[in-house]
This record gives sequence, C-alpha cells and structure tokens, in this order.
Amino acid sequence: MTNKLANYLENLKNCLRIDSAAKDETIREISTHLEDSSQELKEGGLNEEEALRIATLKFGSVQSIAQEICEVHNQGSWWEAFFAALPHFLVATLFVSYYWQNTTCLLLVLIATTCVVIYGWRHNQPVWLFPWLGYYLLPVIVTGILLIYLPQGWTWLAALVYIPLALFIVAYIVRQTTNRDWLYTLLMLVPILVVFIWLTSSSTGGQLLPISAQLQENTLLLAGSFIILALATIAFIRAKQRWHKAVALLISASLILFSLALTNRANIGLGAGTILILSLLILVIPAWMQLKPQPR
Amino acid sequence: MDYKRELLKGNTECLLLCLISSQPMYGYQIIKELNRRSNGYFRFKEGTLYPALHRLEKGKLVKSEWEKSPAGQERRYYQITEKGRQALSQKLSLWEDFSTAIKTVIQPETS
Repeated sequence: MTNKLANYLENLKNCLRIDSAAKDETIREISTHLEDSSQELKEGGLNEEEALRIATLKFGSVQSIAQEICEVHNQGSWWEAFFAALPHFLVATLFVSYYWQNTTCLLLVLIATTCVVIYGWRHNQPVWLFPWLGYYLLPVIVTGILLIYLPQGWTWLAALVYIPLALFIVAYIVRQTTNRDWLYTLLMLVPILVVFIWLTSSSTGGQLLPISAQLQENTLLLAGSFIILALATIAFIRAKQRWHKAVALLISASLILFSLALTNRANIGLGAGTILILSLLILVIPAWMQLKPQPR
Repeated sequence: MDYKRELLKGNTECLLLCLISSQPMYGYQIIKELNRRSNGYFRFKEGTLYPALHRLEKGKLVKSEWEKSPAGQERRYYQITEKGRQALSQKLSLWEDFSTAIKTVIQPETS
C-alpha cells in the first residue's frame, strides 16, 4: 500500500465515528475498492501516483463519505433507542415508587446495569450502551466521594487505594468512549451531571449527607428530569445528523438544569451553581462545534 | 443536472438491489456493472455507494460476507436476502406503475 493511499485511509478512519469492528471492516472494504480502481487505471497506462490520485478523486471527499457512513451506522433503531433510554426510565420509576430508598432494589439495579455494561462493552459498544455506562460510573464516583467522609484514619486508605482505581476506571472508559465519538461521551456524562446537580442542590450546609429528605420533597421533579433525559436519549439515538444529536442533549440538559435552578425548592449554592454552569459549557461547546459548517 | 441527481438518489436502493439480485457482488464490481449496463449514464462519486450498501445491510435487505474473488483477493460480497427480494419486487412494481403514468401524461393524446 502506498503512502498516499495509507494517508487517505487514515484520514477516513479519523473521520469515521462508528464502532471499531464496523470501522475496520469499512476501511478494509474501501481500501480494496481503491486498490481495484487504481490497478485498473494503471493497466490503462497511468503511473502509480497518478492512478491513485484519480482513484481517490473518483471516490469522493473523505469528510462527506465518512459523514454519510456515520449517519447510517449511528442512527439506532427504535428498539435501540428504547433500550438506551431504559436506565433513565428505571431511575424515574425508582423515584416515583420510592424504591430508591430500598437497598435490595438499588443493588438489583446496580447488578443489572453492570451486566448490561459488560455485555455491551464486549459486543463492540453498541449505541444503546452509553447511558448505561453513565449509570455504571455513577456509583464508582459517588463511592469515592463518600469515602472522603470516612472517619480520620480511613481516609488515607480511600485516597491510596480506591480513588486512584476509580479515577483509572473513569478515565479509561471516558477515553475509550471519546475515541469512538465524543458525542457518546456526552450522552454518557449527562445523567452523571444531572445527578450531581441534584445531590449538590439537595445538600445542606455544604454537607452531601443527609439528603434523602430534600430528595423526597422533589420526587416528581426528579422523576421528570430523568423522563426528559430518556426522551432526549431516544431523540439522540434516532437522529441521523450529529448536530441534531448534540442539540437533543443540550436542550434536555438545559431544560433540567434551568428548571432545577429556577424552582424554589432547589437550594442552589455556589458549588451547585458552578457545576451547573460548567455542565452547560460542556454541552454548549460541542453543540456549537457541530453547528459550524462541516467541510464536504 | 440536479433533477437527474435527485432521480438517481431516489432510486439508488432499487438499482443496487436489482444488480445484486442476479449474483453476489462487491462494491467495485457493482460500480463497473452499473456503468456497463447504463452505458455510463449514471455518474456519481464512487464512495457514495458504500453508505447506500450499508443502509441496505442495516435494513436486512442485503447481507455481506468476505470471500475470495476469482482473482484470489478477499472482497466484501453483498448478497440479496429474501426481505430484499420482496422489497425489490415492490419497488419495481411501483416504478413500472409510476413510469407508465408519466409516459401516459407526457405522450401527446392520439384522439
């Protein structure tokens, strides 16, 4: 394979934000196409460089082809959209039914989430996986925060053992997901941001615990937040265009965060306010990047 | 030109299914066959074929498999499925009705 062909394929690979198995197969397929095409041109009397130049010209621009392929692969079916939204619906149900205070129930949800995540991770990270991943990471992060509140003497154990391990897991998953597509990283992080906003706005006097009373007061609003997330996830999975996906997340998160900020029940302090602004920035910047005209 | 492109875009799936229905083919072979059968009438960027093929595969109208070509190289062959045959039959029937209706309208009335 010549350098020029390798560069063309590398560019295409960088633009293809689809699962790794489909990406490898697509690159291999296009590589054989370009080889066949340039071979035929060479047989027609062109030199190798000229043949490859014409073959890639006939094939089309890397960006527009990659975009079309991504639209095909990244638009999930209705079934996938529903399955991706399922964890949000589950969490909303937990709040409405007050089962979120039941340890057995929470444990069952956690086990189910872990099983779904392991299955999805081992099967080329399908589009429905990412919201589940968000809920999988949530207890990992929350446990780390709770360990900080351990009695003196035990905190060092948390700092030395758990927190580096948790950070490694979070960083590894975020990196892998971003390699696939940073839009999926956002889909994964949105529920975590919403939960953190809720936790910080429900805490009193800078203490994260106890928060159950405040959460109990806002049950319907909480459940509503997760229903909005579920609907946004369905829109995200069903959308073909990347900027539609980004806007679906942005609108839903803005709706949740602003309704939370504006409600009298919520107690938005400096910490929660900062997280709220940062969360919106995290979502606004990628959405703005997607709205910029893409080279075709 | 735009009208021709729109017509082609609307009928890409039908053309691809029609070509693949006779025998399994790989991407480059499909381009060549389309060119041969249409005497070069259909001109488009070759890369746009793959999103269309992948869309058909996602819709389970075709399935693909890596096989050795007669020249001995591995190629991704697309083969029509039963669902694809049914879809093709419906599309062809619709196309014939549409084409007949268009012809009837544009031909001058004899009586």
